Amino acid sequence: MKHTLNQVFHSGKFLVGFTILMTVLVIVFVYPLIVRTPPLQIIGQGTFFPPGIYVSTYDAINAPTVYTLNLPDAEARRIANRLTQEDRIAMKEWLVAFGVPEEEIDIDDTAQLLAQWEANYDPNLRLPGMTFARHRYFQRVNASIDGLLSTEGAIIAARNPETGELTEKSIVKQTDFANVNDIANVRILTLGTDNFGRDVTTQLVAAAGVSLLIGLVAGLIATTIGLVLGLMAGYIGGVVDDVIMFVTNLFTVIPTFVLLILISFSIGQDRRGAVTIAIVIGFTSWVWTARAVRSQVFSLRNRDHVNLSKLSGHPLPRIIFADILPYIASYVVMAFILQISSGILAEAGLSILGLGPRTTETPTLGLMMNWAMIYQAHILGKWWAYMPVLLTIALITFSMNLMNTGLDQVFNPALRD
Amino acid sequence: MARVMLEVRDLTTKYITRYKEDVYAVDHVSLKIEEGKTLGIAGESGCGKSTLALSLMGYYFPPLHYMSGEIIIDGQNITGMKPDDVRKSILGREIAYIPQAAMNALNPTRKVIDFIGDVVRAHDPTWTKKMIYDHARSLFERLGLPAEVLQKYPVELSGGMKQRTVIAVAVTLTPKVLIADEPSSALDVTSQKMVIKMLRDLMESGFIKAMIFITHELPLLYNVADDIMVMYAGQIVESASAKQAVFDPLHPYSKGLMGSIIVPESGLRNVKLVAIPGAPPNLKNPPPGCRFAERCKYVQAECKVTSVPLYEVGYNRAYRCILSETELRRAYEHGE
Amino acid sequence: MKGYRRYFLNKLGWFAITFVFAFILNFILPRMMPGDPVAAIVARQAQGISNPTGVQAIYEQYTELFGTDKPMIEQFFIYVRNVLRGDFGFSFSQYPRTVADVISASIWWTLMLQLPAILVGWTLGNMLGALAAYLKGGFDKVLMPSSLFLSSFPPFGMAVILLVVFAVNLKWFPTSGGYAYNLIPSFTPEFMRSMFIHYQLPFWSIVLIAIGGQAIGMRSMSIYELNADYVKFARFMGIKDGRIVAYVFRNAMLPQVTGLALALGTMVGGALIAEIIFSYPGLGTTLLNGVMGQDYPLISASTLIITFMVLTATFILEILYGVIDPRIKATQSD
Repeated sequence: MKHTLNQVFHSGKFLVGFTILMTVLVIVFVYPLIVRTPPLQIIGQGTFFPPGIYVSTYDAINAPTVYTLNLPDAEARRIANRLTQEDRIAMKEWLVAFGVPEEEIDIDDTAQLLAQWEANYDPNLRLPGMTFARHRYFQRVNASIDGLLSTEGAIIAARNPETGELTEKSIVKQTDFANVNDIANVRILTLGTDNFGRDVTTQLVAAAGVSLLIGLVAGLIATTIGLVLGLMAGYIGGVVDDVIMFVTNLFTVIPTFVLLILISFSIGQDRRGAVTIAIVIGFTSWVWTARAVRSQVFSLRNRDHVNLSKLSGHPLPRIIFADILPYIASYVVMAFILQISSGILAEAGLSILGLGPRTTETPTLGLMMNWAMIYQAHILGKWWAYMPVLLTIALITFSMNLMNTGLDQVFNPALRD
Repeated sequence: MARVMLEVRDLTTKYITRYKEDVYAVDHVSLKIEEGKTLGIAGESGCGKSTLALSLMGYYFPPLHYMSGEIIIDGQNITGMKPDDVRKSILGREIAYIPQAAMNALNPTRKVIDFIGDVVRAHDPTWTKKMIYDHARSLFERLGLPAEVLQKYPVELSGGMKQRTVIAVAVTLTPKVLIADEPSSALDVTSQKMVIKMLRDLMESGFIKAMIFITHELPLLYNVADDIMVMYAGQIVESASAKQAVFDPLHPYSKGLMGSIIVPESGLRNVKLVAIPGAPPNLKNPPPGCRFAERCKYVQAECKVTSVPLYEVGYNRAYRCILSETELRRAYEHGE
Repeated sequence: MKGYRRYFLNKLGWFAITFVFAFILNFILPRMMPGDPVAAIVARQAQGISNPTGVQAIYEQYTELFGTDKPMIEQFFIYVRNVLRGDFGFSFSQYPRTVADVISASIWWTLMLQLPAILVGWTLGNMLGALAAYLKGGFDKVLMPSSLFLSSFPPFGMAVILLVVFAVNLKWFPTSGGYAYNLIPSFTPEFMRSMFIHYQLPFWSIVLIAIGGQAIGMRSMSIYELNADYVKFARFMGIKDGRIVAYVFRNAMLPQVTGLALALGTMVGGALIAEIIFSYPGLGTTLLNGVMGQDYPLISASTLIITFMVLTATFILEILYGVIDPRIKATQSD
């Protein structure tokens, strides 16, 4: 036993898979201790806030200390940040139309572009064939550029509750800075928010946990059923074997996927919790384990040590636990690992179809995927809403597959080359 | 002196494991077989006898690699020949091999005749289907196998029939030397007998000129072989006539192997190797002295440090031990 | 030949039994829903449809179809009769279309997409796996982990990635549908072209997933076969390596046929979900619409059709396998 474990942990593939899985598990358990927001709490008003550090503007203005920093490139940065790509392309179009050679214009070089604009733009000029609307557009662009170049600060005003008049309270100068440490509310959204305005990271961690749980429960159920049926079929044989094999063969050919859909639908939305789904998955995916265990037990049944035990009058449980289980343990463990990963995938598939666990309680990886798809995150380019989910699913199943391949190579030496 | 059909001089081959370690499974082995003789090779599993069989073919593929030594088949030295020339003109034609697990030696999805066709065409692509069939048919008749076998898939044949078919395929191109690696160990007693009879007939009719017979079943070896070589840890530890090797072994390892054999021949039948306590040394880094020293009852301090050469004691006999013949015999008398 | 007939009849028998069983499950499972299924379904449904006559029509149609007032066994035979006539009732969500109409519009899309994709994926996967086993070394070291990673991706994941890369970012292909929405299905070159372009991404996403799983299986099988005793014997009989490799791959490929038969259900399931990602007008999308619209008759008919397709494909594969693997005939005639 110790030797086998030792061998297993010397398999590179197994070790890599195991490390990935353990890392995921550690994150799942540790993260909620640090970030205590409930995973499904809606914090953002609006959809798909991009990943980043969110600083309260209000708190920033009211920061206790105002620092003045004279940064040489602050202005250029500000302009570069505010000048949209669309504006830049329009500016280039205008400049080219009025004789600036195209190769001299670099729309990513803000300073140069502005200089060229300043030197060449004339609000009165109008290209032949240019619509009036387009002409006005260029004038607007020019006006906003002038605005950008202004060096005046922004005025903070307070409304007098009686008269409704605004009185100037302070001016925020362009050189004013607040230290992030002074700002009361800063929220780091590493993966932004989803379509409902919920923190994706927190949700993802919780979902990974729930999905792993679903996989685990489904795997445990499937493995237990498969093991028991396989043992009975293989060891008792005869009619029992025939009956079990008949059922197993039936469930081998009928697509599990279809069964899952039918059962999940029949259960009804209201009663579909994460664990219920896990149980359904478990009850529909024991077939492979049963087959594998049966054929193993079959070959073990007439080995000398088993016969000896039988002759010595050992009770059946003892024969099974002492003489049979240890020999098929490796297969069962491998099957279990595969069941976990296929359980996670099955949940994801069901959820995409809208047959996943009830959506109000806990997130699962499949549900997150489902939401992202329904709200078209993939088409809108909101990668943070679905990519991390996909990668997490792939990473978990990949780690399990790796562990399995590693185990396979330890137990079937022929595959090592 | 009769014609020498196979001579091997100082052959050394090694396995390279997937961890890039060298395992010298055949270590400076020399042997000589004359026309009409059968050489038996005995030893525990893992002693290198199967590797020796593979190495004798002169055709190496990973993980087995040739290191040094010469192989001369019927006067033709095949050492240094290009692998593809060996494949074309030596394998199957001069020397043929029946693998250990002959039960699975035929491609399960190819009819026997088609496989024979592949074998024949690999050496001479000009043969037509008709020629191959006629040749195979007459060969099978001559060897006493039903011609229907040719049209069957290996799964349709019984174990004994499969084994005999493998032998027939192996001698399709009338090789001079046949190497049979445990050809009967997986069969029932009746099939075993038929296989052995078939091999004997091949020898007696002169169809093949010499044979190497490898087995761990000593009684069988005694019946089939003229001479016996005992291998241990990749080396020959004793070579003698079959009778001497079985009834008067010199090397302590041979003694251990043969020890259990009871004199009346009828009693020999089902006696297999007795267990000698301990296990063969790890050939990745073999011990500097005698390789059997760890398990030897008669071990001396010197055995563990100096390597022991093979002593030729005349009368076609050699053994690898620092003790003299007399000392050994005396020790065995006392031991018993 | 006698052996093969036995094999064929055995498989045919199994095909019939499993189909009947699947049919019964399809009948029983929804009936285990708590309460009166018709009432529950129609109640849920009534909110969705603004046309009150439509609701009424469905209610009557469905009561008749389900026959919930009659005993179970009679209900079952009513169901059998209806299905045999191809009558699955009206679709709730797409009233006044019948379920048969909705399904027959989508089934060809699914067949045309999945059948070639799974076959191509299977073939490519096997070739890569065989190559990895034979070449070993660097090729194997790259191929194996990437296949493993590929096959770890949920089928819809691959679809999403292809969609984002090739449709959204590179704009080489459209993001959804089976053809451009301004066209009417017809055999015009313009429509065919549009169909072909829309076909690519769903097709390759299914192919890629299939490749991963098959390559791993084929690699193991090939390594196993390469170490088989007949390889050694054939080598020592002087047979050329090229020929031996052909033996090995043929023999390794044969179990892969059975493997495909056994994996078909899962593969089809994954492919249906890939269809959904691309809003491909096949059964997957139909199924999703059914679930979204709580359209029970549509779901039930879809699952029945999918089961039937998978079972038929499995059956055909097994029959084929019996023809190409001589071992089947031999062992059956004993």
